[in-house]
Amino acid sequence: MEENKKMCMVLFSGSIDKLTAAGVLLSGAVADDMDVDIYVLLQGARAFRKDIADDPDKLNMAENIDLKEEFVKSLQNLKVKTWLEFFKEAKSLANVKIHICGLAGKVWGADKLDDFVDIADDIVGIGECITATQESDVHLFI
Amino acid sequence: MTQEELTTLEVNKSVDARGTSCPRPLLAAKKAMGEINSGEILEVLSADEGTKKDIPKWATKKKHEYLGTVEESGFFKIYIKKG
Repeated sequence: MEENKKMCMVLFSGSIDKLTAAGVLLSGAVADDMDVDIYVLLQGARAFRKDIADDPDKLNMAENIDLKEEFVKSLQNLKVKTWLEFFKEAKSLANVKIHICGLAGKVWGADKLDDFVDIADDIVGIGECITATQESDVHLFI
Repeated sequence: MTQEELTTLEVNKSVDARGTSCPRPLLAAKKAMGEINSGEILEVLSADEGTKKDIPKWATKKKHEYLGTVEESGFFKIYIKKG
């Protein structure tokens, strides 16, 4: 049987617009039967905190900051899933692993796996991230 | 297949993804494809313009057979035979 292609996504951003884009890209990879490793770095780790992840009021936009309300409302009108729902669905459909950078967690006062949403698989060091990018067929930095 | 052949096709599963946007129709097609057997036909209803190109390309890449698309009023139907 042919081995699945691998995607490595380095998710630095914790902004609601880039997280949503990451969720859409992740869905495409899953539809394509790719195995995906996501390494969540600095700002991204904050967004994955349990008390922040599903609260759009606690996440900013990376661009067009003043259009956040319009952006969120438009996604709702279009029945587009939230970034977190995209990630949860992807995990339920394919081999998707979410790794939180240990340093990033500490920066945001979250150093235990339990501090993050339950889709996070583990807390890792940067070496694993570099190895995964070397071994992947596609790598993205968001 | 001709438009007439497509409209008279007997489908094994139909997924209504109207009212949703990319990537929902694509994921709906992927899920539904997992629920039918090789040689069976899936119909996907969508009104998302990007999906019109996306699903046929995905289907061909996944070794399914893209049979064609039928335009309806305000939406379209995509037909795929599972490989």
